[in-house]
Amino acid sequence: MSILLNNRTRLLIQGLGNEGQNQIRRSLDYGTKVVAGVHPGFRGGDSFAYGNHSFPVFTTVTEAVEQTQANCTIIYVPAPGAADAILENIAAEVPLIVCITEGVPVHDMIRVRTALANSKSKLIGPNCPGIIQPASQCRVGIHPPDVFMAGNVGVVSRSGTLVYEAVDQLTRAGIGQSTCVGVGGDPIIGEQQQAILRRFQSDPDTDAVVLIGEIGGLAEQAAAAYIKRSMTKPVVAFIAGATAPPGRRMGHAGAIIEGEAGTAEAKLAALEAAGAVISRSPAEIGSTMRRVLEEHGKYQLPGSVD
Amino acid sequence: MNIHEYQAKQLFKSRGVPVPDGGAATTEREARELLKEHGPDVVIKAQVHAGGRGKGRVVKRDRASRMYNDLRREPERYEGQISGRRRGGVRLASGVEEALKEFRPFMDKDSRLVSVQTGPEGAPISAVLIEKQTSIAKEYYFSIQVDGANGQPLIVASAEGGQSIEEVNKTNPRAVLRIPVDPTEGFPSFRGRSLASQLGLPSSAIRPAGDMFANLYRVFTEMDASLVEVNPFVLTANGAVVAIDGKVGLDDNASFRHGGYEEWRDRSQENPTEIEAEEANIGSYIKLDGDIGCVVNGAGLAMATMDTLKLHGGEPANFLDIGTVNRKDRVIEALRIIVNDPDVKAIFINIFGGLARVDIVAEGVVDAVRELEIQQPLVVRLNGSNVEEGRRVLHDSGIDVQTADELGDAAELAVNAARSGKRRSRVTN
Repeated sequence: MSILLNNRTRLLIQGLGNEGQNQIRRSLDYGTKVVAGVHPGFRGGDSFAYGNHSFPVFTTVTEAVEQTQANCTIIYVPAPGAADAILENIAAEVPLIVCITEGVPVHDMIRVRTALANSKSKLIGPNCPGIIQPASQCRVGIHPPDVFMAGNVGVVSRSGTLVYEAVDQLTRAGIGQSTCVGVGGDPIIGEQQQAILRRFQSDPDTDAVVLIGEIGGLAEQAAAAYIKRSMTKPVVAFIAGATAPPGRRMGHAGAIIEGEAGTAEAKLAALEAAGAVISRSPAEIGSTMRRVLEEHGKYQLPGSVD
Repeated sequence: MNIHEYQAKQLFKSRGVPVPDGGAATTEREARELLKEHGPDVVIKAQVHAGGRGKGRVVKRDRASRMYNDLRREPERYEGQISGRRRGGVRLASGVEEALKEFRPFMDKDSRLVSVQTGPEGAPISAVLIEKQTSIAKEYYFSIQVDGANGQPLIVASAEGGQSIEEVNKTNPRAVLRIPVDPTEGFPSFRGRSLASQLGLPSSAIRPAGDMFANLYRVFTEMDASLVEVNPFVLTANGAVVAIDGKVGLDDNASFRHGGYEEWRDRSQENPTEIEAEEANIGSYIKLDGDIGCVVNGAGLAMATMDTLKLHGGEPANFLDIGTVNRKDRVIEALRIIVNDPDVKAIFINIFGGLARVDIVAEGVVDAVRELEIQQPLVVRLNGSNVEEGRRVLHDSGIDVQTADELGDAAELAVNAARSGKRRSRVTN
């Protein structure tokens, strides 16, 4: 059932502050199986209740995993403690860790990446919207659930709001999504676009992929190299920031134009040469994907996906 | 966040990295003291955050814009002159009086340093670094940055220092060494000595250079730096190594560990509107040249919004990532910044709520229209979390706004609104 998540995903939420609580309620409403919380000194006591749902809250991740067999953690911990929370999940051997937190210091992420290298864990984020998989009603993140629809197109993006934008266009065009992954906008993240593309390539539930990049860094070039080498499924790509003035930092710490390689033009050229179909306008991602699916005979009428 | 060269050198010195004798002055009295102590042969350097200082010019504020255009048109005319009649932000002087003659225009309140990187306003000069001249045998390049793809620090070094490393990389890529750092080991002196030897430093300089590199790595980790760059460090005629320039970038995200980096920050080098945006807790604001004021959530969508406007023939007046909006006053603050920009002819609000709630954004827009008496036409595109309530709030308020559900349609409305030059009609209730 597509990538990273499935209907056996047992979610642990770390960080039950106001925002964490709001978001986990929406995931419960969406149908996500939440089995545990971790929040030292949680004011609600040793369990969290919402409607017909409730799950136990623990002091440590290890304890939570032992007691509930959680296999995925979503981290809503504020920036000063976020890297520590990721390290705690790596130590507890949680297979999939998703960190939403924005503003994690880059030196903290250097430590995290070192710990990840020899671990059993995979990390998505930080500074990302998380992962959502409509068919299994699994929402591990902060997505507005209403715009998503189950289907056969995978989405991978550095930017969070551009995941929503692209998905909204896909859904309006009658195209559902297999899994949507926001990999995060920071200079150092866990899995990068290229790794997510590899997962989509070997996923029987994904027929095509939307790749959304932005200026700065070299991640899109790595993605292009992978597409050229190994990808047989069609990819529609958009790069944000084609009109950004050079040398200015546009919000995302990762989005600084470092020389020619970081420009939208260089990234688009690499992706086009690799065989990706380029959507020059961010408003045409949905219509471009529809055309591509129709050409490949993979356009499914809405409702035909189970 | 950038800091000044003199501050970078304080960080270097406190961790055992050799720098020239000297210090920063803001008054003639301080300058005189420094000149007496470190003269007669000194180098004096304007302290600004922008790069390209040596190839820039110090001019009166009212000539900054013209100079900026000249520099952009004919950069080769201003190439690296530190002595002679036409001189930039780095100068050589001999003796107290000659040095003071160079110092005075730098610290004149009306002076601006203009380089290709400062923009047409130029940069105010915050202080002047006065240092003993170093007798240079050879120049080298050294930097530590973060390699995002590998998640590790990366050291870049070259025996061809004193020039743009990007240029060296283009013309002679084999002269640029790249050394990934294992963060658990750090960069101990023995690694530094190995690098010194690869750079071809003479045997007597291997040990001090190795220690210098290791100590620069300490600056990088202890200060939570995103960049430490020394271009150049030099081998002196006496065989010593000295960092004669220094650039340090600090990671804003780590400021909570360093008292907000307050002692290193210089707000006079920042754009006042960008400071205002920061104080209003707005994710990010950058002034641009166009006439459509943008309020968007998320950096990616904010860039994509600018891209869409341009594809429809419009020009954004700014980049603004409002961040996560859960309070309507943040919307009002963002719109206040937009409205105060005299270039703005139309306003485009594009919010796709995830964490942010669109109904709160809508309430903020309604309040802002009334409170700020916004004159410019307003195009609002809302989508995502609580979108139905959001659209209802806008509709029920009776304020004069144009709305569209899709990004392309909304962008087109905004471009047409800016072109028409019309003003909004008055609030209807």
